[in-house]
Amino acid sequence: MINRFSFVHNDVLIPVLIAGLVLFAIFFYKEWVTRNPRNFVLNAVVAFVTIAALVLLVLEPTKEVEVDDQKGLLLTDGFDEQQKDSLVSLNKGIKVLNYDSGKSIRNELDSLTSIYVIGQGIPSYDFSLFNDLSVDYIPKENPSGINRLSYTSHINLGEKVEIVGSYNQPIKGAFLVFEDSGGNGLDSIQFGENGNPDFSLSGSPKTSGTYVYQLTVKDSTGVLLDGNPLPIEIKEKKPLRVLILNNFPTFETKYLKNFLAEEGHEVIVRSQLTKGKFKFEYFNTSSSPVYELTDAVLNQFDLIISDADTYFNFSASLKNRFEKNIRESGLGVFIQPSEFLFNLRESSSYFKFKRDAIDEVQLPNSSNSLEKYPYDFDEQFLVQPILKGDGLTIAAYKQMGLGRVATTTISNSYQLLLNGSDEAYKNRWTQILDAIIKKNNVAVEWKAVSHIPIVDAPFDFNLYTNLNEFSVVNEKGGLVTTVQKPMISNKYSGLIYPKKKGWNILEIESDSTSQFSYYVYDDVNWKSLRTTESIAANQKRFKNTLNKNRTVTNDRPISPISFYILFLIGIGWLWLSPKLITDK
Amino acid sequence: MELGKQHLMKFNQRWQLLGYLEVFLYALGVGLFAYFLASNILIALAVFTLALLLLLLIKHPWSHNLNTTSSYIDAHVAEASFSTGLLLQPEESLSNLARLQRYKVSHELKTRLGAINPPNKIKQASAVLVVLVVFGFLLSKLGLFSGVDDVFNSNSNQEHIQFVATDTLAKESVLPKITEQVITVSYPAYTRLGHKTTAEPNVKAVVNSKIDWRLQFDNPVSSVFMERMGESFQLQKVDDGYTIRQSLKESGFYSFKFKNEDGVEFTSDLFSLEAIPDNTPEIEIIGLEQYTYFDFLDTKKIQLQSTITDDYGIDEAYIIATVSKGSGESVKFREEKLNFNEAIQKGKRNLNFTRNIDLDALKMEVGDELYFYIEAYDEKEPKRNVARSETYFAVIKDTVTDQFAVEGTLGVDQMPDYFRSQRQLIIDTEKLIKDKPTISTQEFKSRSNELGFDQKALRLKYGQFMGDESEMAEAPSEIETDKAGEDHDHAEDQENILKEYSHDHDGDNEHNLVPLQESEEAEDPLHDYLHNHDDPEESTLFEESLKTKLRKALSIMWDAELYLRLYEPEKSLPFQYDALKLIQEIKNSARIYVHRIGFDPPPIKEESRLTGSIDAIDNFRKTENLELDQPFASMTKAVSRLEELIQKQDVFLEKDKQIFTAAGNELAILAIENPGKYLGVLQGLKQIENNTGRTISNYKTVQKGLLSALPKTKQIPGARNTYTDEMNSLFLKHLETYD
Repeated sequence: MINRFSFVHNDVLIPVLIAGLVLFAIFFYKEWVTRNPRNFVLNAVVAFVTIAALVLLVLEPTKEVEVDDQKGLLLTDGFDEQQKDSLVSLNKGIKVLNYDSGKSIRNELDSLTSIYVIGQGIPSYDFSLFNDLSVDYIPKENPSGINRLSYTSHINLGEKVEIVGSYNQPIKGAFLVFEDSGGNGLDSIQFGENGNPDFSLSGSPKTSGTYVYQLTVKDSTGVLLDGNPLPIEIKEKKPLRVLILNNFPTFETKYLKNFLAEEGHEVIVRSQLTKGKFKFEYFNTSSSPVYELTDAVLNQFDLIISDADTYFNFSASLKNRFEKNIRESGLGVFIQPSEFLFNLRESSSYFKFKRDAIDEVQLPNSSNSLEKYPYDFDEQFLVQPILKGDGLTIAAYKQMGLGRVATTTISNSYQLLLNGSDEAYKNRWTQILDAIIKKNNVAVEWKAVSHIPIVDAPFDFNLYTNLNEFSVVNEKGGLVTTVQKPMISNKYSGLIYPKKKGWNILEIESDSTSQFSYYVYDDVNWKSLRTTESIAANQKRFKNTLNKNRTVTNDRPISPISFYILFLIGIGWLWLSPKLITDK
Repeated sequence: MELGKQHLMKFNQRWQLLGYLEVFLYALGVGLFAYFLASNILIALAVFTLALLLLLLIKHPWSHNLNTTSSYIDAHVAEASFSTGLLLQPEESLSNLARLQRYKVSHELKTRLGAINPPNKIKQASAVLVVLVVFGFLLSKLGLFSGVDDVFNSNSNQEHIQFVATDTLAKESVLPKITEQVITVSYPAYTRLGHKTTAEPNVKAVVNSKIDWRLQFDNPVSSVFMERMGESFQLQKVDDGYTIRQSLKESGFYSFKFKNEDGVEFTSDLFSLEAIPDNTPEIEIIGLEQYTYFDFLDTKKIQLQSTITDDYGIDEAYIIATVSKGSGESVKFREEKLNFNEAIQKGKRNLNFTRNIDLDALKMEVGDELYFYIEAYDEKEPKRNVARSETYFAVIKDTVTDQFAVEGTLGVDQMPDYFRSQRQLIIDTEKLIKDKPTISTQEFKSRSNELGFDQKALRLKYGQFMGDESEMAEAPSEIETDKAGEDHDHAEDQENILKEYSHDHDGDNEHNLVPLQESEEAEDPLHDYLHNHDDPEESTLFEESLKTKLRKALSIMWDAELYLRLYEPEKSLPFQYDALKLIQEIKNSARIYVHRIGFDPPPIKEESRLTGSIDAIDNFRKTENLELDQPFASMTKAVSRLEELIQKQDVFLEKDKQIFTAAGNELAILAIENPGKYLGVLQGLKQIENNTGRTISNYKTVQKGLLSALPKTKQIPGARNTYTDEMNSLFLKHLETYD
């Protein structure tokens, strides 16, 4: 037992002590004037004791005592009243606390040895409050509604937003609708009889920017039952600079080059006419002939398309230069196939093929079929398929350092255009080229750690950058502190409490390109999802909680009665003593 | 002593007053109630007056006269001792006792009447008033009768074109309002729809309708313009209004623009003009097969039944019948216009027609064909719509002729004129037979032999088509030998015959169109019965019969020649006739032998050919800048900007106006085809532009409309932004070393 004293009103300790001293001084002076040598010392002592008692009465001293068994019951959002009642009746003297994120319950918790938590649980940022407390979390049932969700919140224009999730206890016949920011439905599913809770939706945005799409639940007559925002950031892809190298002009190249040039990319085509003579075509770019493929030249391009004959007949040094650029600066190279490619050894051709004697392949999601070379990609560690059709890989890339080299087994893809399937042609080539195009380097990458930020709750984010000196500011220009991770020097983490609903911005000061938009939700959004996640997090957190009740020491105020009596006696004596003297 | 009576009269007045008050309170209640429901003071006043009159009639408070008053007082005031009646009578006519009583009563009444009130229901009326007011107020708050308000207000204000100032700063200036707005749609005369007058500014009418707008303003205005699809038309001032007449050619939008006295410009909303096209008549032919065949002996009649419908009226309808006679090149056409049995009632929307077509009456013979269709015109002006039915066919079957139906136009006669034709040969042979008795045997034989040679030459000529060109060169030498003596003929012929039978592979046979030779026919008797697929010329198309025919003709000619050489022209003649017939047939279809059109290569410089010198060859260079076609760039921008205005509640900037104007123009192009669908969005855009609809809800509507109007995103490859992580790079590098 630690007999440490303190006061309830520690804050007024000094003024009260001064007041006591002043009071004592006045008394002392008064006694001095009416000097009565017999009683002077005694009276002074009594006065001191009396004033001390008065001071203690005001300050309320406390004593630390140990508490053995003090149980608490913490009620969090959505708790069951019945559960609470039965817990209260089972545990006599249980201390019932209400959790409110706006008010601290630290002091209350200090007096408890163990605690029950009922309801949806405590937000994860308050877990630290319960570090040395035995917590028994009694979870509530998962609420009806979306309880699992993941979607692509950052996409490039032309790509699809994919949403997968699960809906707990769906209403039969109700629709889950994915709507764009204007409220036009992009995709929907109807919950059927089988009660399958899983869903996946997708839709292609039509414009770039930051938008708040919606995931709404409507009943079978179209009446809105529930709606939650899905913030999505859509970026536009940057135009490319493409170099096409050909041994001789082909139709394949002609159509590919037309496609790329019409979409505004800078395209340079070099096709060999005869020895040392070339045909140069420049689209959307100034004409500067490309003879020597130096590092500087290669570095200008995001993508180089070359036929196999040209590429594999490069001198060893040139091929090394290409490979260096692929590995180090992430250049994308597409090799247009020919029989020559398939007959090369694996070591020189990057790819391994096996003969499959199939001459035609059906394209995925399309009624079109295309001619192909009778070869198939063999499995290789670094080779990843890009396009598949009929179970065959028809285009694949090989990761080489930061860059990628790709090829296909399709021989005359322009047949799609001739058949009038423009869209199929463009889709295929977009898919293939997008996989290998050199990535634009940005200085900063942001990642939101808290995935449903709400107002006044902490929002964690990570920041990856190679910059050495930078400062993060919010939209009002206020500095946000970040902490560098000790082991990973380019990773920083930060924490902010958003003050405003809707889009918020963080950026590196003096670099507006590094903007990071994050959406702060309303407290009513994604209720079921947040509840489910909170329940799961609480269950996980308090599964292996301390089983032993901790010893809690508690400051108990010492009963003021004794001071009061002391004060009364003292003051009584001081009143009485002059009277006794005059009586004599 | 008239005091008592005065009291009575006062009381009576009070009573009447209270009666009026009660009626007034009731009427006020009803009036206020009506006001709350209709929110219209005029209606409320009307209801109030009505209720007041009605209640007055029911209650008639003026009916309280002194008699009723006195009897009331008698009944309610004990002190009156039922004697108030005395007060009403002249004092002189009363007895003394009565006078005493009268005095007493008047004295009593003086004090008593102040205390009692005439019977009234003021409290009840007040209660009803309060209840009605409260009830009406609640109803108006609940909005149960908001529709009533619209109904009453619509005729006054709602439909009128609303104007807003384009300059937002000039809000204080007087906004002239339209006091009268008349839109008259004059439909084209032929539609028989006449005129329609409306106040609805969104006009929907038949193409070529004339539309008159007449606007009248309450304040003087100047330069009133109609803006219609980028064009401005000034409205004419007529009397005190402005009018404009426009002809509706195609769908579109319009708005009005004018200036008020202060020179402030005002513009109206956007309204749609929808042109409903006049459809072409629809023709239906009932119960007739597309092809009808008749045998010669059938009754060759076609019963034609048809229904023609048009949306505004049919002007004319008839049958166009074409008779084709003959075949091949000699085909002749004759066109006739047939009328229906029924007379056409012009302007009818739905007509049934019948017509019997008698093929005999059209002078059709065996093998002739009849094509016919119905043509119908409607009354559209200036140019009538015309519709044609499908073509129907009627054929009289020809079972006698066996004709070749080879289509084509190249009818080149391949026969050189220095050859005797088969017909000439026949004539000559017939002449020879006729001359036989008169001429010498020597001459007969010589002429017969000569005819035989001519026959041979002709055969060789035709044989050329079969690929026997080499023989042509030898023909002249043959003539030489022929002249030498007839005895050699056979030997020579035998030799030639062998030659003919030999397959001359070395011959210049490049243009060999029919490579088969008679020899093969002789050697391969099965030939005709086989499908020789290896030979493209032998495919079982119509060529086969031609070729066989030619081959047959050649062999017949051979026989004809044989008999001529044997000096038996009589026997030769039937063969010649047969040959002629076949040749005639072949001639008709000879046009399948199309001469190849050659390719003339440019002359080659022999001196530089195959030298391998490429000095003169230059690099080829081509530069092209392709404009990226982005027809919806502004719409995209507008959507994105609207999202900012909605989500971030940004302030509308002046430069945003340009975006929305441009977006409106882009959308208008889309909207021309379907004005109704995008009108709302266009109006919304316009409202954002001229600052009358810069509200979140309007932003949302416009954004939704724009998003749904935008086409699907194109798939374009492009570069993405990524952050290259040192660790990732290291990882990728190491990944390769373990490959």
